[in-house]
Amino acid sequence: MTDTDFLHADEQALAQRFIDDGFVTTPADDRAGLDRIQRRAAELAADYLKLPHSNDPYAMLDTIHTRVSVDDLNGLRLHVFNGLNAEPWFRPTYFRLARSTIETIVGNELCMQRRVNLSIQLPGDSSSLLATHSDVWSGDSPFEVVVWVPLVDVRRTKSMYLLPPSLNGDMQDRMASLRSAEELYKTIKPHATFIEIPYGHVMLFNQTLMHGNRVNEEAGTRWSMNCRFKSIMSPYADKRFGEFFEPILLRPATRVGMQYKLPGGFHG
Amino acid sequence: MAERAGHRGYIGARPLNGSRTPQHVQNIVIRDYARRKNLHYLLSAAEHTMPGSYMVLEDILDELPQLHGLILYSIFMLPPDEARRRQIYDRVLREGCDLHAAVEEITLSSQKDIQAVEDILLVNKFATIL
Repeated sequence: MTDTDFLHADEQALAQRFIDDGFVTTPADDRAGLDRIQRRAAELAADYLKLPHSNDPYAMLDTIHTRVSVDDLNGLRLHVFNGLNAEPWFRPTYFRLARSTIETIVGNELCMQRRVNLSIQLPGDSSSLLATHSDVWSGDSPFEVVVWVPLVDVRRTKSMYLLPPSLNGDMQDRMASLRSAEELYKTIKPHATFIEIPYGHVMLFNQTLMHGNRVNEEAGTRWSMNCRFKSIMSPYADKRFGEFFEPILLRPATRVGMQYKLPGGFHG
Repeated sequence: MAERAGHRGYIGARPLNGSRTPQHVQNIVIRDYARRKNLHYLLSAAEHTMPGSYMVLEDILDELPQLHGLILYSIFMLPPDEARRRQIYDRVLREGCDLHAAVEEITLSSQKDIQAVEDILLVNKFATIL
């Protein structure tokens, strides 16, 4: 770091990767916390399926398709989703998985989505797909980022795809001439990149970029969580403060500023 | 023929009749409607916030052969163009599906239901609210 820089070299490099690629992946800041989340997810899944708790939560999650049908998948997902979100340690732990990256990319006064989402994608299942979209198109603010955390290794169609920033604008310009999101996918398909993330790593991505998933053609089940973060004072869209986001880090200077009133009572 | 899965929810990010309803509240309304009507609810898809875009609705219409139907949060989410709406009704019925609107508790399951829906949309276009 030179004496003319405000950011450390590693922060500058991370920020540039985010701008250029639309995402960054890093090892989880709190690996023990990630293991705790994975273990709890496996326990909740076992409870739902009336199975004993496994000593190998990774294998339990990765092979869940051998124990659950597509018809029962949403019931399982909701059980694990509700169970994780009911744990008082869950959201603070989730934040700690990526805290350093979030603070570099977003800032250090933050709000967080109230509920962390969970996706489960069985091999060959077409019932849990997310069509090509940008979160902004359905009411998220362009000032948000998504922290996406797999509970198993993900690669190719077991992961999600993202359109690079260099192409996103051109593709958006073509959208109005297309009929459906599936047509949109066919247009972007040659350029979309499935992101490989080993368990133990987290991804932070730019949700204004087009992304989605396809039928999982890998051997294992995908388990991933996603949650949105934004700078508290940046603009909101349809996903409002209070109902969708809640503050998690508010600094004393901001609290003082929000409560301050100028002296009044002048009559001159 | 593949087994049909249930009724797909359809929520939106645009204001309806000048009012905004949070998306999770729209989902609660749809889920409650489905429970009361004994319909198997499938996770909702959210329409784009961009005015005039119905790409997500088109995706649901493409999915109809695998569904029993769709549940709109409100009937006022349908496109403003009558011809386009009639294409949607025809497509839903041709696929052997039905269309529901949760807020208004409307079911469109045959040709004879169309006029009642169109009457509501037409009156809404002209009537004012104090």
